[in-house]
Amino acid sequence: MSGGDGAAGVSGPWRLAVELDRPRCAQEQMRADLALADEAAGGPATLRIYRWQSPALSIGRFQPEDDIDVAACAARGVDVVRRPTGGRALLHGGDLTYAVGMPQPRGRAATVDAVYRWIAGGPVEGLGLLGVPARVASFRGDPRGACFASLRGSDLRVGGRKVCGSAQVWRAGAVLQHGSLLVDRLDFSEADLLRYASEQARAEERRRLEEGTVTLRELGVDASWDVIGGAIVEGFRSALNLDFTSRVATPG
Amino acid sequence: MSTSVPDELRYTKEHEWVRVEGSRATVGITDYAQDALGDIVYVDLPPVGTAVKATESFCEVESTKSVSDVYAPVSGRVDEVNTELADAPERINDSPYGDGWICVVEMSDPGELDALLDAASYRTLVEEQ
Repeated sequence: MSGGDGAAGVSGPWRLAVELDRPRCAQEQMRADLALADEAAGGPATLRIYRWQSPALSIGRFQPEDDIDVAACAARGVDVVRRPTGGRALLHGGDLTYAVGMPQPRGRAATVDAVYRWIAGGPVEGLGLLGVPARVASFRGDPRGACFASLRGSDLRVGGRKVCGSAQVWRAGAVLQHGSLLVDRLDFSEADLLRYASEQARAEERRRLEEGTVTLRELGVDASWDVIGGAIVEGFRSALNLDFTSRVATPG
Repeated sequence: MSTSVPDELRYTKEHEWVRVEGSRATVGITDYAQDALGDIVYVDLPPVGTAVKATESFCEVESTKSVSDVYAPVSGRVDEVNTELADAPERINDSPYGDGWICVVEMSDPGELDALLDAASYRTLVEEQ
């Protein structure tokens, strides 16, 4: 924990890294995000948005490796990577991911929930620009093997369906938050890549993922990835009052 | 918000507490901290024997998909850990100064306790936030 006076986030000058077309393996994506967090403790906050080069399964910081069906991942050519952030397994490839690295807030605003809600203002505004009326989820499901199989207060929903999951790590004076915005649905899901006690449990998870989530494409957004990325950036800029004074490329 | 701050404990500015008995210091996170974190779902406990250094991270906790460092209030060696937290991490939320203790540190430099806050000072810190 870290203590200290102010809002849940820092407005003003931020760095922006838009890397939708930059090929990078899953491990490199996580290394780049950790670097943002390390820099943010004493320096500028950064928003990075990116896509995944190929399908990848990220698992939470403390999620047991036993949850993963390694053979199923290999058979589908899915990279597996451990996130520094919390939460559960998440299949990337059809999503636009954002990473926010910023100094830890201080005082009463230094709560996990307050930071989730502050940052959520960005993608909520951005989705609004795309005609999608997203809201911060207000209830909690049981934690499950797959991130998108439950809806929690840190997620964004459209109606009752999850459109964006998020997770954080607070370390060494910085907060790193990941957000995964569902743009397109792949032809397989986390339910095909994780281990379950029975095939019935797998089928139930698959049903939860299908019924409990919604993608931008399913919501009628047919804009290009660049346009979607631009809307998310504009959402962050206007809702959080950010000044993206410098566009940067992250190292690696 | 009403925050519990027991008089007999010492505190860090990062919201950990210490209960001292001889050279042994029982460590946990404060009521203020558990409230700021939200529902704790996992505690990454340090193994017994781990050397810890004051002000450095020695443990991580996960709450609502968020991972946070816990910092050692004193230096020394971990002598005992609260293994009950492995199956019941919510004890930190329910009883941060009781069943939610994290570990016992055999202190290498009890003089470090002088740098910690007493209850009155910690109470002032959280009331000002």
